[in-house]
Amino acid sequence: MNMFDSRQFQATAADDVWLPSSCALCYGTCSILAHRVDGVVVKIEGNPDSAVGKGRLCGKGVSGIMTHYDPNRLRHPMRRTNPKKGLNEDPGWKRISWDEALDEIAEVLRKVRADDPRKLVVQRTTTVTSSRVPFHAFASAFGTPNFSVSGGGQHCGNGAHLISGIMHASWSIVPDFDHCNYSIFFGASKGHSAGHASCSNMGKAADARARGMKMVVVDPLCNFAAAKATEWVPLRVGTDAALALGMCNVMVNDLGIYDGPYLQAKTNAPYLIGPDKLYVRHPESKKPLVWDTASNCARPFDEVPAAAMALEGEFQANGVACRPSFHCLREHLKKFTPEWAEQVSGIAAATVRRLATEFATEARIGSTIVVEGVALPYRPVAAIAFRGSQGHRNSVYNFYAVDLLNHLVGAADVVGGCLGFNPTSHGHPETGKVRYAPTADPDGLMVVGSWMGYHYPYPPSEPRLPRNLGLQDLFVIGMTSPFLDSTDREEMWKKFDIPYRPEVMVNFGANLVMSIANKDAVAASLSNYKFIVSFDLFLTETSNFVDIILPDCGYLQSLDSRSNFPFIFSLPAGMGEWCWPIRQPALPPDGDQRQFAEVLLELADRIGFRADLNASYNAWLDLQPPYRLVGDTSYSYDDICDRELKNNFGAERGLDWFKENGVIKWKKKPQEVYWRPFTDVRVPIYWEFLKPIGDKIAAIAEPRGLKIPLEYYDPLPDFLPCRSHCCEKAGFDFYGFYYRDIVHTNSFTMENPWLDEAARLDPFSYTIAMNRSEAGKRGLTDGQRVVVESETGRKVDGRLKLTEGIHPEGLGFAAMCGHWTDGQPIAKGKGVFYNDLLELDWEHASPVNINLDLCVKVRVTAAERAP
Amino acid sequence: MRWGMVIDLKRCIGCYGCQLACKAEHGTPPGVFFARVLKQEDGQYPTVRQLSLPVLCNHCEDAPCVAACPTGASFKWEDGIVDIDPDLCVGCRACMMACPYTNRYFNDQPQHYFPQGMTPYEEARTDRHQQNIVMKCNFCRDRVRAGKPPACVANCPTIARTFGDLDDPVSEVSMLIKERGGFTLHPELGTGPSVFYLPP
Repeated sequence: MNMFDSRQFQATAADDVWLPSSCALCYGTCSILAHRVDGVVVKIEGNPDSAVGKGRLCGKGVSGIMTHYDPNRLRHPMRRTNPKKGLNEDPGWKRISWDEALDEIAEVLRKVRADDPRKLVVQRTTTVTSSRVPFHAFASAFGTPNFSVSGGGQHCGNGAHLISGIMHASWSIVPDFDHCNYSIFFGASKGHSAGHASCSNMGKAADARARGMKMVVVDPLCNFAAAKATEWVPLRVGTDAALALGMCNVMVNDLGIYDGPYLQAKTNAPYLIGPDKLYVRHPESKKPLVWDTASNCARPFDEVPAAAMALEGEFQANGVACRPSFHCLREHLKKFTPEWAEQVSGIAAATVRRLATEFATEARIGSTIVVEGVALPYRPVAAIAFRGSQGHRNSVYNFYAVDLLNHLVGAADVVGGCLGFNPTSHGHPETGKVRYAPTADPDGLMVVGSWMGYHYPYPPSEPRLPRNLGLQDLFVIGMTSPFLDSTDREEMWKKFDIPYRPEVMVNFGANLVMSIANKDAVAASLSNYKFIVSFDLFLTETSNFVDIILPDCGYLQSLDSRSNFPFIFSLPAGMGEWCWPIRQPALPPDGDQRQFAEVLLELADRIGFRADLNASYNAWLDLQPPYRLVGDTSYSYDDICDRELKNNFGAERGLDWFKENGVIKWKKKPQEVYWRPFTDVRVPIYWEFLKPIGDKIAAIAEPRGLKIPLEYYDPLPDFLPCRSHCCEKAGFDFYGFYYRDIVHTNSFTMENPWLDEAARLDPFSYTIAMNRSEAGKRGLTDGQRVVVESETGRKVDGRLKLTEGIHPEGLGFAAMCGHWTDGQPIAKGKGVFYNDLLELDWEHASPVNINLDLCVKVRVTAAERAP
Repeated sequence: MRWGMVIDLKRCIGCYGCQLACKAEHGTPPGVFFARVLKQEDGQYPTVRQLSLPVLCNHCEDAPCVAACPTGASFKWEDGIVDIDPDLCVGCRACMMACPYTNRYFNDQPQHYFPQGMTPYEEARTDRHQQNIVMKCNFCRDRVRAGKPPACVANCPTIARTFGDLDDPVSEVSMLIKERGGFTLHPELGTGPSVFYLPP
């Protein structure tokens, strides 16, 4: 659209270079060009050579200079002198040398490794995605299963990423912006704010809107995506499943519209379900049975042509009455009438019917389209969900119900439909790497080809008496866990006879005190650690609990062979290019700053487990000869990066090549992007595996006094209320919720003065959004300072922003603001610390995926006096 | 030749990328914005729209600021760009009073964002703006003369901005204005802005 190429810059001085690298202001890691003149980075622009960002950056990305040059950056290792730890305890920092710091850390870690390595908790931020391999490799080699990403996952992903993995073999889902005609966003801002492939998606979503894609946005707040929507559908906070299930019911039972051939061939819809809600299996092969309409008998699923599989009917097999799972689903959906959905969500029954009709009709079931010469199924509708709808106690069913909309009409990973981010890669044309694709398990169900989380989303592990502090080996559906810091953590550990306690934490960049839940709960947990070491750019609220703080390099000073996880995380979905960017330093460390990855290597040397760490790197990076790390050789991080790049892209394309070029790219094929028709895997529209998991967890937990609510483990989704929906306390009449702001990343960017300035100019970034009429009824006015109190008496305060664009029962908070540390003077005192309202315990976590419930029923009152 | 810009409000999502890309390009001091994003709400619940309106100097054909400037500091280049000669500006702010769009800024704030003083980046950019004079957008004239688009246009993640010659009837900007019903802000004032908007 523009007439110029933004990379037409000529070097004119001795030091005047544009270095291709990667952003790190959020986990999207868009590709950048850093312009350095005479040793100073004077501009950061998007790298037009890369598909990650496509040469454009968000406001955060262009502002990274001010994070880098912040005079409040840490420059030297420091040790606390005040042994007392607390939210208001000054650690009494004293500068020390790296040698002193590493000697002390190594000694502590050596002892704990010899004693019980599980006593180490490795903890990192999600913002710097490239930290994943160095820290996971370190934790694995050290011997601890206890790693965590602070509030990450518990807030954003235990539902969204898990179910995107089970149903789309990817970390997240988006509409196929290039071809979709009708999209429904449930609490998701993909293409309109932050997140995975954020800048690329912004461009793609704008193209889609310009092309005429209808966009229905279901959200309590009319902001980022909703502001651009064709239709904003406000709903009661946390009730997304009610609308989705009502729509599914209308589609299947009223309209009779669903994609039978897709359900037969690509899902477990034909699998026969017995009275015990489980598959009826072949007595010998144990394969799930389907009803073969040609031979009129039950046969294993892989012996029957898809078209002959019954989707409905009452049958007898193995001597039991059974029905195809689709039949069960169809019956199950009948109770979700539009009138019921209205009662739960507040969305008019007529709207539920209309949206279902529009979605089902626009799906154009049975149609095909040719993309680059390949004939493909065409279903130009997509229902997507993310943080907003999944950040609840009913996280799993909310997301599952939304995604059912796609699978009922066959709009999953086909042209125009709901796409995962690149679940199938045939690899680089010359080396065949990085190659992965979904495969089928013995039940024919899809197993992801690539995954970056704690465990594959499917098949789930066998629940066992837990030995991990997060209890994920019991709650096997969960990925990240609240139980490392929850108020009932000790009680839980005792219940399950966890034979050890956390003693040492290595933290990278996470501000746990602000990013998980209320500060008191997290502070109590952190106070119990004997020793905490933290790599940071700045002092944070969490630093008050740290023993030794290490000054990290920022992203403009760092090297990473992979700036993100390939390719299911932040490479845009849809046609275009595969793209592997690196990060390289444009500037040297300042003071004693050192990049975390190098420090971890040196620590392994000092502790004496370099051989284990080398083996761990080989596994995490899939290094093959001749690039495998050998023995206990002390490789530098540069060397490891060089090996990874050569391993993947050939001997001639090592670090030097990538430093020059920044990125390697090649063209995507339609068979990769629209992989579903080419891959013989099925996905579950009936989650048969949930029930036995629930039963097994209950068998372990209930004798130990932990009641498992098995309604969360039913194979078919339902609407299960959050704690907030059950609050009947007088005066508590708003549902508090928070959302990701467009100029801020988690609690990280408020210290950036340009972003802070933009946020201060924005009406919503630092305020509390309330419906104007509702405020009027209570005598509250725009800009008024109010106190927001949770049912349990937790309080935050802030200024009101009255708006017509919020559900009358909703109370919206942007980002994770409200810093109080002196280490971040720009951030201090700005905005509202919403997380301080959140409880952190079993009662406020999903009993199935241990996602935290992020909505809170609150009372709002005028503050007595403005402080 | 008359440089102009078209901003497509259908594509714009109000991400502040333009405002911050401008800041990064020019290193403007706190409180000074050559590009901004305004937010507005229309309608009543639930029939409501949130509108983002990116604004910058309109580079008016009949620029009131130029007429109001007593020293000739505010002037118009032959390519239509309205600019300020910092050496002639005496900081009287008559142009700010005259500009109906309030897109001019008087640079009397601290020249650095952190209380500790200037960052190396700010030091590298400080020669671009003098204190106690008026500052504003000049369509990144140095970039444009070097064959590059203004920074806000180059960076916009939604590709909402297009830059080109309004005098050329087949330029992309002219065609967009014609085909999509481009409009200017406050046309009733008769200033002839060179910044056009396409409807949301």
